[in-house]
Amino acid sequence: MAAPKPKAPDRMIPIVRKHHALVRLAHWANVPLLFGLIATGLAIYWAAPVFTHAPDPVTGSRDYLADLGFALARVFGDRDSAPSQWVYNHFSLGTGQLAGALRLHWLLAYVFMVNGVLYVVGLIAGGGWRALLPRPSDLPDALAMIRYYLGVVPHAITRRPWPHPPVRSKYNALQRGAYFTMPLVGALVVLSGWAMHKPAQLGWLERLFVNYDGARIVHFGCMLVLGSFVVPHVLLVIADGFDTFRSMITGWSLRVKGAGHE
Amino acid sequence: MSKRPARPKGPSLLERLAERPESMEPMADGRIRAQSRRDFLLFGLGAAVAAAGAWWLLPDRTKARILPWAHDRLDTLAARVGLSGSNRERFLNGALSFDDDVAEALYSKDRKVRTYARSETTPLKPNYHGQAPLPEALADWSLELSGLASGRTERLTLASLAALGLPRREQVTRLICVEGWSAVAHWGGYAFADVLGAFPPAEGTRWAALRSDVSRDAQGRPEPYFVSLDLATAQHPQTLLATHLGGAPLPLAHGAPLRLVAPVKLGLKNIKAITQIVFQAEEPRDYWNLRGYSKYDGL
Repeated sequence: MAAPKPKAPDRMIPIVRKHHALVRLAHWANVPLLFGLIATGLAIYWAAPVFTHAPDPVTGSRDYLADLGFALARVFGDRDSAPSQWVYNHFSLGTGQLAGALRLHWLLAYVFMVNGVLYVVGLIAGGGWRALLPRPSDLPDALAMIRYYLGVVPHAITRRPWPHPPVRSKYNALQRGAYFTMPLVGALVVLSGWAMHKPAQLGWLERLFVNYDGARIVHFGCMLVLGSFVVPHVLLVIADGFDTFRSMITGWSLRVKGAGHE
Repeated sequence: MSKRPARPKGPSLLERLAERPESMEPMADGRIRAQSRRDFLLFGLGAAVAAAGAWWLLPDRTKARILPWAHDRLDTLAARVGLSGSNRERFLNGALSFDDDVAEALYSKDRKVRTYARSETTPLKPNYHGQAPLPEALADWSLELSGLASGRTERLTLASLAALGLPRREQVTRLICVEGWSAVAHWGGYAFADVLGAFPPAEGTRWAALRSDVSRDAQGRPEPYFVSLDLATAQHPQTLLATHLGGAPLPLAHGAPLRLVAPVKLGLKNIKAITQIVFQAEEPRDYWNLRGYSKYDGL
């Protein structure tokens, strides 16, 4: 037997622990869950839209999402030749699938609730909740971040320096606001969902949303907030670089304080 | 217990909630690589499982839409590892039963649904699952009750029901459709519980099978409609065998001459133009459950 090759002693590299394993698990599980919940939710919504108006004299449409479909079909084309159903055909399971959509929506909703609990447990176990709490300096800091983001492109074009505002916490004020709000919106989407699902047994919950349609409107609004959070979230992670993406998979970052935005 | 010494000044609330500075720790280069590799492999595995699961759970029509050229081959592949259509149905129906069990656990027989003032009624869609019955089909209408403790089969008309002297009930409640719309309506009629009192069901009864033989499908052909109703719901104080809507006798579109109003259930359980009620021990079939919907439908 050949003697093992003498191994060079491992270099020690400083890392910073970022996200608890449960937070990472719940974070990624939210991707297919929200995707599925929105796709099935819109298929349910199709059966009886809550945002309606008097029938359009030309299209006969009463549904604002159908109106949006007409507009989108003009821009992107429509291979189904059913412009009123464009939104449902592209963002949901499709039309006329209420029974299947309901079954899937409830299944995913139960998993989503369990996932939300795992996320909170992970935040507590890892102490991550501290980094999410709003603080008195958030408003001016958030304005500074907005000012920074608005200036990034013009300064890049004119090749003038545009320093990132100093951030001494895990997240900047805008991130913190978003990451603090999302779990609350998640809780609200679950509560409004239960208010719709069991308005008789959970009558107090239905009243919390004024009435049945109130719960539907809040539920839809939460969906829009959760869905539209994804776009800047993904863009900013791409802009921030691989280390940020990796930290949500492995849990640690090689970006030690001082090397980042400071 | 020892008495705690009074502290003159502890950390303030803000200080206690404050973010801790991120702590740096050294990690061996090799361990960083190994853990990184492991976590990325797990991430990829999770993504693959999620993709396979999503494909499995999607309705066939949606799959045919998304991948018209490959959905058959992918389904064959999925079925080989057990992700078949029949297994999917079993799994999803299991999830539906779980939700039904949750609904039943939440149900309390004494809990009443919210009632409204008569001025708060809203327009009620006549959502017959097909077309409303023809008036001639209702000319010799009667309600047949069987599965009774007396062992007899009773035939009731509106007149013989009225002759029982049961108290008339009026209530303004919300009818909620599985589609998502709802309407507040003013109903009048008899409490189902009072009818049960007049005609006690046989011992061991757990279910009522309600049926309308005068129903028609969307093309106007005869198509019986039938729902299952658990006895607890039938006995709920707000469950009516209604004869009136908005103070007037039920119109054809809303279930003349007698319909079920069970505000603790979705609208689809609120069967119109009932012609037969059978009390039984076994759970009856349910029209919409056969079409993929829940069979409990408790609100």
